[in-house]
Amino acid sequence: MLVFALRRLNLFIFTMLLLTLLSFSLSFLFPGDAIINISGAINATPSELVEIQKSYQTDRNIFWQYSAYLRHIVNGDLGLSMASQSKISSEVLNLLPATIELSLVALLIAMFVGIPLGFIAAIKHNKPADNIILSVSMLGYSIPIFWLGLLAILTFSINLGWLPSAGQISLLFEIKLVTGIKFIDILLSDSPYKWQAFADASAHIILPACVIAVAPATIFVRLARTSMIEVLETSYIRAARAKGLSFQQIIFRHAIRNALIKIIRHVGLQFANLVTIAMVTEVIFSWPGIGRWLIESIYQRDFTAIHSGLLVLACFIFVVHILTDFIYAALNPLARGNKYGS
Amino acid sequence: MARDKIYLEEVFPSPFMQLWQIFRKTPVAMAGFSCFIFLVILAIFAPILAPHSPIDGQLDMLLLPPAWHVDGNISYLLGTDELGRDMLSRLMYGTSLTFGLSFIVVVISLIVGVVIGSLSALTSGIKSSFLNHFLDVILSIPSLLLAIIIVAILGPSISNTVWAVVMVLIPQFVHITRYAVKEESRKDYVLASRLDGASPFRILYYSIFPNIVDRIMSQATLAQSAAILDIATLGFLGLGAQIPLPEWGAILANGLDLFYIAPWTVYLPGLAILFAVVATNLVGEGIRHALKLRKER
Amino acid sequence: MRMNSIKLIVITYLSLLTLWGCSDESIMSLSAHSIIYCAEGSPETFNPQLVTSGTTIDATSNQLYNRLITYQGKDNTLTPALAKSWHVTRNGKKITFYLRKDVAFHQTDYFTPSRLLNADDVIFTFNRILKPDHPFHLVSGGSYPFFQNIKLNQLVKEVEKINNYTIRFHLSRADSAFLANLATDFAIILSAEYAEQLSKQKLKANIDTHPIGTGPFKLKEYRVGSLIRFYRHDQYWQTPAKIEQLVFDITPSNTGRLTKLLAKECDVTAYPIAHEKIAQHNDLTLEAVTALNVGYFGFNVKKAPFDNKLVRQAISYAINKKVLLEAVYQGKAELANTLLPNSSWAFDDSIPEHEFNPTLAKSLLEVAGFAQGFTMDLWAMPVQRPYNPNAITMAKLIQADLKNIGIKVNIVSYEWNTFLSRLKRGDHQSFLLGWSADNPDPDNFFSPILSCAAAHTGSNRTFWCNQTYDDIIQKALHTTNISQRKKYYLQAMKILAQELPLLPIAHSKRYQARVNNVTGDILAPFGGISFYHVAKKARLETIIKTENTNKNNTVNLGEN
Repeated sequence: MLVFALRRLNLFIFTMLLLTLLSFSLSFLFPGDAIINISGAINATPSELVEIQKSYQTDRNIFWQYSAYLRHIVNGDLGLSMASQSKISSEVLNLLPATIELSLVALLIAMFVGIPLGFIAAIKHNKPADNIILSVSMLGYSIPIFWLGLLAILTFSINLGWLPSAGQISLLFEIKLVTGIKFIDILLSDSPYKWQAFADASAHIILPACVIAVAPATIFVRLARTSMIEVLETSYIRAARAKGLSFQQIIFRHAIRNALIKIIRHVGLQFANLVTIAMVTEVIFSWPGIGRWLIESIYQRDFTAIHSGLLVLACFIFVVHILTDFIYAALNPLARGNKYGS
Repeated sequence: MARDKIYLEEVFPSPFMQLWQIFRKTPVAMAGFSCFIFLVILAIFAPILAPHSPIDGQLDMLLLPPAWHVDGNISYLLGTDELGRDMLSRLMYGTSLTFGLSFIVVVISLIVGVVIGSLSALTSGIKSSFLNHFLDVILSIPSLLLAIIIVAILGPSISNTVWAVVMVLIPQFVHITRYAVKEESRKDYVLASRLDGASPFRILYYSIFPNIVDRIMSQATLAQSAAILDIATLGFLGLGAQIPLPEWGAILANGLDLFYIAPWTVYLPGLAILFAVVATNLVGEGIRHALKLRKER
Repeated sequence: MRMNSIKLIVITYLSLLTLWGCSDESIMSLSAHSIIYCAEGSPETFNPQLVTSGTTIDATSNQLYNRLITYQGKDNTLTPALAKSWHVTRNGKKITFYLRKDVAFHQTDYFTPSRLLNADDVIFTFNRILKPDHPFHLVSGGSYPFFQNIKLNQLVKEVEKINNYTIRFHLSRADSAFLANLATDFAIILSAEYAEQLSKQKLKANIDTHPIGTGPFKLKEYRVGSLIRFYRHDQYWQTPAKIEQLVFDITPSNTGRLTKLLAKECDVTAYPIAHEKIAQHNDLTLEAVTALNVGYFGFNVKKAPFDNKLVRQAISYAINKKVLLEAVYQGKAELANTLLPNSSWAFDDSIPEHEFNPTLAKSLLEVAGFAQGFTMDLWAMPVQRPYNPNAITMAKLIQADLKNIGIKVNIVSYEWNTFLSRLKRGDHQSFLLGWSADNPDPDNFFSPILSCAAAHTGSNRTFWCNQTYDDIIQKALHTTNISQRKKYYLQAMKILAQELPLLPIAHSKRYQARVNNVTGDILAPFGGISFYHVAKKARLETIIKTENTNKNNTVNLGEN
């Protein structure tokens, strides 16, 4: 386990270096002055500018500049947003939790829908149920997400009036921002309308989360199906069957567990995919998350926000990636010994 | 009648031909394939086939509903948008932008990716390990996010979108080629030709490629559907094709304001994207299915 | 095992949701006393003195503040507000205001007033604008575009405190538009006591970001690009507003606002699109008010090739305004031949009508030396404004028109506040924008949009500065004789028709849509909106519908 952890740590450091290097070089690739791009201080007076240049060590060679940049990042200073002139680190801290909340709910929905469907398809391998599930899942990952979002709003918010179409919660409720994760904030707040707010927030998250969940769910269907088929063909299942266990017992006691372990490995990869889908969905459902903020920053050519936002998002995705690797390794001892990348 | 050949030769179809034999027997895959061919033809001949200009509108024909609607007009089969532009023509031209460009994107990134991938398969040691790490980092970032990053650097436009998607897809091809080449080179027939004294490139070209081409094709269909969705999504977000290009995602974004009074301006481009992606995926599924069957034979 | 426990949690959660959904009516009381307004953009600041943007005015002026005097009624007569009466001397140079004695400022988390409004507050407010050495003058940039455009600092010699509730303006000359200007949304009164507190705390800039006023609502919370939350000001000097909470839901997307209205997530929405769709719904009302405004296509005359009058004229001949009106305004606007709307008293029929003539345009271009045409940038507003409901579509149509005479147009757009600040800097070549009048005086069109003073403050985005024109509009201001003023304005309009720093396109109505149970006027013919008179009728059907909705929610959850 220690070797495994070290190997992952090594990968983590390598990736972080690569990402910060990328983000650092972005400030040179964007049009305009690199130091302004990196600090976002567009309204700085000449004396302030000198101060900023000093802190980023622009008079020294590129290596020193990079290390000064790293120091700023480690200290949590991501510069100022060019558009709003507020601290990017605090903006990100306000927005990222909303994205995490949405993505986690979507991931749960995707897993709870996708994996059982995949198992059913595997058990009914090559029967009509299998084919139907496969065809529907193909439609699911072929559908453009923004279109699906619009259709969902039209159907469920406008025509049926079941679910709200936009935002995290009805603006009537005044919930203080503490963690940024709405459900926790509501529980922490002392509003007299606490429970209504909770119900309202739940109603708000359903539609965007379901839209996001569609594509990953179809991936989970296929993953679950493949791994279940593999498991069902293994000798220990045959042995169990030979022992005279009922079909249900075989599936629930033996097959599901072993099939699940294989799927967990892919959850991390899917999460990355899901965050991207969430970015687009946030735009459609006006979800106050980091994806919408990032895309708006691109419209406004807010370069500081773009490169810091990307850095944060990429780090976040990578951290999730490594975390799932650890969970997988903890659940499945066989994986720890495996060489990296296999 | 004299036979051309004196003795009966046992014909071994190439792996690719074997695949095709199986592929053509799957009706669903063939349906997808014909849709795919249809889209290719449309993409090439859109300027000849389209009844109207995709950019200049007919200003007395604003927001005409599709022809089957009571207020529709038969010369504008799928209706018009808010500037009186024919939806059908726009969608047809859009085929060459969204579908055609994604096809070109896949071809470019396939060539570059395969070249880099096979070259890197021949290397080993530190260089290889670095590449491995690098590829893993790149591959762990979702393609759309990467494309958004690249467009953010280059600035929004259709050509930058194309470059962004190319750059996003290359690592995938590098990865799959590298993996496939390494796997094949371990096999005996490669060893045999190496013992015959064939140069690495000769081996690569004559022995390995014919055997991995199908896997690359399968990856290409995956890449194609991802490319269509990425180009359309960037267009939708206003980061891809700019006004007034009839790219499907951009048409859809343009229709957003008209969603409630002219819903066809949103439904139709969405359906077009769905159709193109489903067709591509059906072909891909067909290839993968055939690959599996061939293995089982 | 694990699956089962998760299932259990989900089921418990769902049943709890159902319980909350059905058992509680207090949520209805919350929504019955609150209004959610879907606004089209974020305000730049919370002090309307600093801006000319309608979005900011809408969010601040009539909600947070009051003026000394205001307009009322259909004929826009000046009526008392914070000043209970006023007196103008015969030569028009001394104007005395008598203040109300019962006006309380907002009490908020960041300020608790210790006294009521008095003359100090009024003097502080105007001295801040007028005196460059005032400690608060340079806070927030020292730019007061409206007041600088009307050259208030040259007009007002002094603001004198007679006693605690009486102040007198000493003018350098009589000015026919002075009272009208004091009644605009810009001339709001700030708190001197709050300013004092801020100077002590060294937080001067807060005076414009954390506003304290006397208006019917006070600021509770602002999240940039997301929402503004107002609470009722219970000590308001008139009867307090009927609603307790007012929320501005900032939704720049046109479709987004309509969707929220249709889904009843907002009670009132600004600038609705798809009027037909709203008309189909019995529970929604679409309202319009004839607003004094003009939408125009402006040229930056500081940049080539628009420094050439011939090019500007050529472009004006090449543009088919009738089509723009049809496609962009759905025919619901008047074609503009000049800056002034036909409803203004200074409007004159003798101004030549706009002519659409591409051949003439082409030959003018040749004379100007651009036979081969050229490439230009056209900046189109990203938001819907009353004077231009869809600038991007308009830009596309202009693009098509200009292509015919060999000009290639690139359409550029930014987020609204960025767009405005870049225009102010003069980064653009040409632009689509407009102007909504703040008061019924015709000068409100001529000075702020095209005077030299406005070119300096940046509200004249064409940067066109013509001395003859400036002299004429100044002369018009100095006289109180209506027919004489009308003659001056006619001259000014003729200069504009020749020089064409901008091409007026349309005078439009301002639209708004609301859910039927919201009562009370919100729109005004000019200036910003006001939620003071708004109330919400409780609807029985709403309660029933909400219950159904909640049930449906849980059913839907179960299916997932």
